[in-house]
Amino acid sequence: MKKVVSIILSLSILLTLMAGCGSSPNTESGGANTNGGSSSGKVTIRFSSWDSAESFEQQQKLVDEFNKTHPNIQVNFEGYGDQYDTKISAAIGAGDAPDVMYMWNYPKYKEALEPLDSYIQKEGDSYKSNFYETLWNYNSMEGQILGLPVGYTSFVLYYNKDLFDKAKVAYPTDNWTWDDLHAAAKKLTDQGKKVYGYAVPAKPDPYDYEMFLWSNGTSYTGVNGTVQGYLNSDKAAQAFTVMQDMLKDGSAISVTSSNYGEAEFKSGKTAMYITGAWSVNTLKNAKVNFGVALLPRYSSNQKSVSAVGSSGVAISKTCKNKEAAWEFAKYWTSEELNKARIGYELPVLKSVAESQNFSSDPIYSKFYTMLEESKNYTPTLLKYSNWSDLSDSLTQAFEQMFNPSVYKNPKDALNDVANNF
Amino acid sequence: MKELTKKKKINFTPWIFISPWIIGFLIFTAMPLLFSLIMSFFNWPVIGQKVFVGFQNYITMFTKDAQFYKSLFITLKFALIFVPFNLIIALILAVMISIPVRGVYAYRVIFYLPTVVSGVAVSIIWGWILNGQYGVFNYILSFIGISGPDWLNNPSWAIVAIVIAGAWGVGTMMLIFYTAIKAISKDLYEAAYIDGASNVRSFFSITLPLITPTLLFNLVTSIITSLQEITLVLLLTNGGPMKSTYFYGLYVFNNAFVKNRLGYACANAWFMFLIILLLTALVFKSSDVWVYNAAGKNKKRSKTS
Amino acid sequence: MKLSKLEKTIFYILLTAFSLYFLLPFVWMILTALKSEAEAYTFPPKFFPSVWHFDNFKAAWNSQPFGTYLANSLIVAVLTTIGQIVSCSMVAYGFARFNFKGKKVLFTLLLCTMMLPWDVTAIPLYMEFKIFGWINTLKPLIVPAFFGSAYYIFLLHQSLTSIPRDFEEAAKIDGANEFQVFTRIFLPIMRPVLNLIGVLNIITVWNDYLGPLVFLNDRSKYTLALGLAAFKGVHTQQIVPTMAITVVMVIPPLIAFGFAQKYIIEGMSGAIKE
Repeated sequence: MKKVVSIILSLSILLTLMAGCGSSPNTESGGANTNGGSSSGKVTIRFSSWDSAESFEQQQKLVDEFNKTHPNIQVNFEGYGDQYDTKISAAIGAGDAPDVMYMWNYPKYKEALEPLDSYIQKEGDSYKSNFYETLWNYNSMEGQILGLPVGYTSFVLYYNKDLFDKAKVAYPTDNWTWDDLHAAAKKLTDQGKKVYGYAVPAKPDPYDYEMFLWSNGTSYTGVNGTVQGYLNSDKAAQAFTVMQDMLKDGSAISVTSSNYGEAEFKSGKTAMYITGAWSVNTLKNAKVNFGVALLPRYSSNQKSVSAVGSSGVAISKTCKNKEAAWEFAKYWTSEELNKARIGYELPVLKSVAESQNFSSDPIYSKFYTMLEESKNYTPTLLKYSNWSDLSDSLTQAFEQMFNPSVYKNPKDALNDVANNF
Repeated sequence: MKELTKKKKINFTPWIFISPWIIGFLIFTAMPLLFSLIMSFFNWPVIGQKVFVGFQNYITMFTKDAQFYKSLFITLKFALIFVPFNLIIALILAVMISIPVRGVYAYRVIFYLPTVVSGVAVSIIWGWILNGQYGVFNYILSFIGISGPDWLNNPSWAIVAIVIAGAWGVGTMMLIFYTAIKAISKDLYEAAYIDGASNVRSFFSITLPLITPTLLFNLVTSIITSLQEITLVLLLTNGGPMKSTYFYGLYVFNNAFVKNRLGYACANAWFMFLIILLLTALVFKSSDVWVYNAAGKNKKRSKTS
Repeated sequence: MKLSKLEKTIFYILLTAFSLYFLLPFVWMILTALKSEAEAYTFPPKFFPSVWHFDNFKAAWNSQPFGTYLANSLIVAVLTTIGQIVSCSMVAYGFARFNFKGKKVLFTLLLCTMMLPWDVTAIPLYMEFKIFGWINTLKPLIVPAFFGSAYYIFLLHQSLTSIPRDFEEAAKIDGANEFQVFTRIFLPIMRPVLNLIGVLNIITVWNDYLGPLVFLNDRSKYTLALGLAAFKGVHTQQIVPTMAITVVMVIPPLIAFGFAQKYIIEGMSGAIKE
């Protein structure tokens, strides 16, 4: 009887061990990852990004290139796509941060990141000044630089040329106001065919939509984080009223997809929408005949301002080989790599944008113009301590404004938010 | 060993049988469970300084967080619709696939098919089908003169959309019922048939009482899973529109991973744990009355009514 | 079993309705996998592709090292299934057929482990696996299965409670010891449910996404579900490859289901007579 017991027990232990062996043909590299070094004196760096399958291979090639030219450093590339935040949160929370990380949400991760000012200083002034100045703001917290700019996007107005031609409407210009856009949208709309002039995302990211407040002369918060009189000001409400009006008169459609209505635009169901540079390649590949213009203005004596979506590469505080990590971060933001990633990210180095003649490119120049216009604006994300809750409330306010079953008055919706903070 | 039991000493046999689970519990479950309880008493950002705050997380949750009550309420409402709906459909399907008609093998596969599809794909497909403007579902409804709602964009319909899409994966529960039905001895049905009982009567007097242990299982587990539901609302509606599907599971997930408040999320989770525990305890308490148990104490019910 | 005319009518109406509900979205998924990327996005959606792109499957499969992912998924599925069947059958038998001190408390504890959501235990678990040196290996996905999962133990436990006591008593009178009772009498009785557990487990681990996401880093360790999720980026979702891989991924669990279905029926005497 006891024999049977011991046989069963040892069998289950054996199986457990087998499970262990079967699982890992090369545990070594895994071990090396966490130790940050292996017997041969080679330093291992874990590099993680939000690349999905679409861009993974391309990025991997660039990493391989580095590994080839740096015999003492082995960089392992990890791409987590859409769930990047969950993955690195869990990893950092458990004390297992990747050494080099793609980064945009600095307020959330700042305490896990190594300040880079001293590293940058060593490279000399010209190194730093070659990056667009605006982007340093987006990669710094509390006066410390936490990441090297690696890519950015500003927002522009995309329009479908074929639909404009068909409706015999003149293409949008860089001087358009929202009233011009509204008038054009009415002409472009064909309710019978379910074609609409403009797309309003029902659930935009509040981070991005601060640009409409900026364009109309206000922002979510003032100095010391005051909310009252800023995000619920008349100017703020006015900025969104025009969009709601378009929805109400049927010249725009409320879109739920997370890509700001890319799917509808791609299939020719909407003539205009506002989004970042990530759509350029998608639309080119889908062979959509499109153009872009600067964001519309709220009145002819105002300028339009764009939100800047910025990405950087940051180094973990817990990284054991910071010099090697810096070496790689430098490589990743170099001219050569800026060039190699064109079409996937907009170059952040002035020298590259110049050598590629982006200032005369009918599409790319718009993004750089919008970037320049946005120089003096700092998003509330970077200066307001409780952004995550504010953003949550704002999202709900936007939904109430733009959801066809509610269409709440923008002023009321924004007042509700302001009264909670 | 037999002699030991006779002498009323501790019988080790059951302990040997359950030892794998006890060892596994101690190694893989106890620590994370305890740890999450400890974290619930801390201001514990995933990244940053951890500070002990006593019951503050629980107090904040009950007194200051309106979303906590909203999410809790929505989730309970969802469970109240989803659990009975799913159980009944699963049971109907299980009975159907146990009737030996021609092609039953194919129907079994068809009914079971959706459970094999990964959550990511499920949400994409249903997102298309239920699209208010261009979706297939409203297109089909228009043929019979119904103008369908904007399922995913209308706060009152979104929860219905989640139920419809969620029930697509009912095959697992169906299969569990089916296995239980198949385990019933066919002699019982033959005897009933000879006595002139109808099929419906056989179902209620033989099938249903004999699968009550499985019904209990499906009831308890579906209460647990529906109160913890997150995948569909995360991928299909992302809690919207206007938080009408911002289920408790999503609320906890966002607190932990988006808002960087792991300690608070742990407090949320432990509160839900208590609710589930309470509901499960109630179900078990009631099960003495309605669940058939041949091995346990209520032998009196071993004969079906 | 004979169905009356009314019963037959209801049966076939339900059958048709349910078949449409379960099958149509699936068929559409297959059709989408065969469309061009542009056509997959057209509004209103087209049911049939204008050109059938059978090469989509090959392209999707080759866009990532899916061969490696498949091997990893198979290792995890097979080993966890063995683990669950061995451990759950023992534990459920221990709980269902014995009375011992502390049983109620332990069984309650077992059920409790299902009640805490995954997200709040993920980070402590991560720390633990890191101490074991298991991060970026398949061990976190496999080893716990050898200690039983509450869900399956509970399921087996429920099926064992409807078996009368006479079974083991008769066997003991015939001179069988406790383990012989388990292996010779109860294992065969449990077989249909163990088959069921096998199927359920394969599907669960096959589509499990958050576990692999958190514990695995390198592509060489990825499972199929993780590869599938990698088609979703921050701003983009590659619909066609997602659908193509989903269709391919469905096949192995369906084969497992086919086998199990056979054994679930064979294992027990057919309940309903024609």
